[in-house]
Amino acid sequence: MSDNTGREPMLEMFIFETFQLVDQLEQSLLDSEKESSFEASINEIFRIMHTIKGSAAMMLYDNISSLAHSIEDLFYYLREKKPSTIDSTKIIDIVLDGADFIKNETTKIQNGLDPDGDEAHLVNMINNYLDSLKSINNDSGKNTKEENESREENEQKYYISSKKTSDKFDSDYYKYEALLFFDDECEMENIRAFSVIHDLEEVADIISYYPEDVMNSENDSDEKIRKDGFKVVFKTNLGISEVKDRLSHTLFLKSLDVYITDDMFQESIKEIPDNSDNNVESDPLLKKQRINIELSETVENAYPKENYDKDKVNEMSESQNIPKKEHVSSGSGKQSVISVNISKLDMLMDLVGELVISEAMVTQNPDLKGLQIDNFYKAARQLNKITKELQDTVMSIRMVPLSMTFQKMNRIVRDMGKKLNKSVVLEIIGEETEVDKNIIERISDPLIHLIRNSIDHGIEEENERVAKGKPPYGKLTLEAKNTGGDVWIIVKDDGRGLDKDKILKRAVENGLAIKPESEYTDKEIYSFIFLPGFSTKEKVTEFSGRGVGMDIVIKNIQTVGGTVQVDSIPGQGTILYIKFPLTLAIIDGMTVAVGKTRYTIPTISIKESFRVKNEAIIQDTEGNELIMLRGECYPVLRLHSFYKIKTEITDINDGIVIMVENDAKTICIFADALLGEQQVVVKALPKYIKKVTGISGCTLLGDGNISLILDIAGLF
Amino acid sequence: MKKVLIVDDANFMRTSLKMMLERNGFEVIGEAENGLVALNKYKEMKPDIVTMDITMPVCDGIKAVKMIKEFDPNAKIVMISSMGQECFVKEAVVAGAKGFIVKPFKEDYVVKAIEKL
Amino acid sequence: MAEILDNILELEEDTQKGKFLTFVIGNEVYGIEIKFVTEIIGIQLITEVPELPDYVRGIINLRGKIIPVLDVRLRFKREFKEYNDRTCIVVVDIKELSVGLIVDSVAEVISISENNIVEPPDSNTGFNNKYIKGIGKVGDEVKLLLDCNKLLNDDECDNLSKIN
Repeated sequence: MSDNTGREPMLEMFIFETFQLVDQLEQSLLDSEKESSFEASINEIFRIMHTIKGSAAMMLYDNISSLAHSIEDLFYYLREKKPSTIDSTKIIDIVLDGADFIKNETTKIQNGLDPDGDEAHLVNMINNYLDSLKSINNDSGKNTKEENESREENEQKYYISSKKTSDKFDSDYYKYEALLFFDDECEMENIRAFSVIHDLEEVADIISYYPEDVMNSENDSDEKIRKDGFKVVFKTNLGISEVKDRLSHTLFLKSLDVYITDDMFQESIKEIPDNSDNNVESDPLLKKQRINIELSETVENAYPKENYDKDKVNEMSESQNIPKKEHVSSGSGKQSVISVNISKLDMLMDLVGELVISEAMVTQNPDLKGLQIDNFYKAARQLNKITKELQDTVMSIRMVPLSMTFQKMNRIVRDMGKKLNKSVVLEIIGEETEVDKNIIERISDPLIHLIRNSIDHGIEEENERVAKGKPPYGKLTLEAKNTGGDVWIIVKDDGRGLDKDKILKRAVENGLAIKPESEYTDKEIYSFIFLPGFSTKEKVTEFSGRGVGMDIVIKNIQTVGGTVQVDSIPGQGTILYIKFPLTLAIIDGMTVAVGKTRYTIPTISIKESFRVKNEAIIQDTEGNELIMLRGECYPVLRLHSFYKIKTEITDINDGIVIMVENDAKTICIFADALLGEQQVVVKALPKYIKKVTGISGCTLLGDGNISLILDIAGLF
Repeated sequence: MKKVLIVDDANFMRTSLKMMLERNGFEVIGEAENGLVALNKYKEMKPDIVTMDITMPVCDGIKAVKMIKEFDPNAKIVMISSMGQECFVKEAVVAGAKGFIVKPFKEDYVVKAIEKL
Repeated sequence: MAEILDNILELEEDTQKGKFLTFVIGNEVYGIEIKFVTEIIGIQLITEVPELPDYVRGIINLRGKIIPVLDVRLRFKREFKEYNDRTCIVVVDIKELSVGLIVDSVAEVISISENNIVEPPDSNTGFNNKYIKGIGKVGDEVKLLLDCNKLLNDDECDNLSKIN
């Protein structure tokens, strides 16, 4: 897999977080676009880019970090300056491009490749745009964040305070000179120097220091310190070893020299520039100075006011309450969630499955047959209740709402709409519907394809729509709903609908039409589009027309046990119905016996079961058995003959018939006897055994026997 | 073993730092994703050292330093900052942070710094 | 059979190379490398699975794990023999594939050094040949050493195709 074995665990996390942040970013942007206002999301986007910049730099992915940095700068400007003239669409496009770059690079990393994308082009574009923004909004042309910050601080008149007055010192004081060098590459040496001064002030009177202007980051004082070190001259009544001890606690200190100087401090301050001589004369360095308290308020202004203000915080800290995090944009939920490794979830699912089986093996053990053990059964029922609840809870952990997947479609719709010059509005219904995590992953690509199809083929261009009396923008509805054991996803567009005749013609041309043309229902004709290689689009566009999409869509959906249906009204639109089971792993099933073998039929497919008399069976011209029930005719499938199983019960009178349906098709299954209904854990047949028609897996029954699970769709 | 509380709104950064510290003999007793949570956790767990990010939602690092120092004047807090945040680092130092580390940081730097506290 | 199991359990040595588990089918004694064998169990209830080749008898429940079982006699196109209490299932594990081999009875674990193993003869005396990777000499006796991979991986297309 990846080469980065040393960084492996952090790599997973970096990839996961970066994707998550970029998704949040996209959502935030698209929401802003809809509401035509940026305000709410500027902060969020700023912070997201800041975070990505930091993490990428830690992982040494400089191209990602650099790009994130430039977007961060742009949004810093937007946040601080709140320029009045901005081109929102352009900004959104820029950021989306940046997001795409980051996604692509992260995908490369995920696949074990080098993130070798060149960010220079994008960075230049962003910087140029930022420059243009500044000149449009009449900025003085100074660009950097640092300058903004230093401007603020200049305004505030920032001073170092000297907490002790010189009066305090009695004759037992010493004058020291200290020279400090900081570690290479520790950065911001000027601030470190400042920090030294600040700390020293608690026990000493600072006389002078060099370089002087350490608080102003707009100079090369950090360079000077790197080269020549930082020198401080101060008075204190501490002894030299105490002074050394205190100073040596400075972080990133490479070397420290402390000397006692004499009173002629002027000589020791050889390198101070001219104007400081004046200072010495007027002795301002020994004057009392204060920190301007306005400082803290400005810091507040510099920070996002997300539900925070000083008083509230004090209240909070007193009452020891952590306030709920409110969020600027919807859907960027960072509530109390933790991210869990999927393999742990899978293990948990497996174990719970085994627990269900083991519990059944205990409570339904053949050894217990016939015993009068009421207390045992009472306890067993309690155990069963708890196990069921555990099972439900674990299953629900794997359930994830479709929101993320659906929201991703916003971006697709927007991009496609732009490229094809069609305005399309996406309506999302029921995104809170939850679905097994495995399924979500499989559903994403098919959905994207279907939506692309709708926009490409279905929705007409603006003038055509207006001519037809439709609203100029196309409407695409994405709906999800839960119906008991299944989840439905419906994709509906109000475009031109499917062309029945064209489809039928193409089907005939490709030799796909088996029945005579007139015998096809509309729905059946529409279903032709799902066959491989089928496409009535004459031109191949970037998005579709090659005819390779639809059948892959179907396959993907079928892999998770789902089905797809299509319907259409010419001129008005097309609807696609995707249905798939809520979960694959545990199902309700009715177990039947056929000879010595056990089969389990998913309860969801069962319509009814009944005993039948021989007379009710009729045969058609080909010898297939049929049964008449309430005026309808259904085919009969004898399990013992279908699977060639030895059994004593071959007479219809003696066995049981179970009517099952799948996708509007119904058959009657004949088995020896009904054994009981229970929840079963679906286990796959061992890999060694290749696919058996009509069997989707197996399960362990309470008595330790194996039951084969019938795949109704496969029996037709 | 010195006990550390890590404060940063990015999960990735918290985990990176946690791994570095634990590899070098520190015990990470807690994590917080903003200044307010940091204050509460500080009160609850009384760590020896706190690493504090500057940019965080709800309550940023500077405010957090002030609050924690108010609660415990002897608190040892190290700021984790980006380049270009000089102004904020100064605030933090004035508020009582013992020092700062600049992102992106290397393991030995972090360890050296924190060991000194 | 318990003794055989004990023997196997004692063999915790590093080198399992050259050690074979031998079992009986009819008049022949076959051997497979011990490193592939995970356990030996007595014959138990087999759930039949439809549409499988005749030599795949079905699946069994091995402490919660579902394992397919293969009748070695039928694999070698010999006559089927009813299972009795000496019949054993030898569970082998190759590349994450677990399969149970149904054999008449299990003999013992023996070491056969390299120089006592010769190539199988070219001329076929039957279908078995392709599964045999060598002939081991132990004293006066001859053990047919099986190639586990070939035994489990079938190149022939006698697998499931729907009849009709």
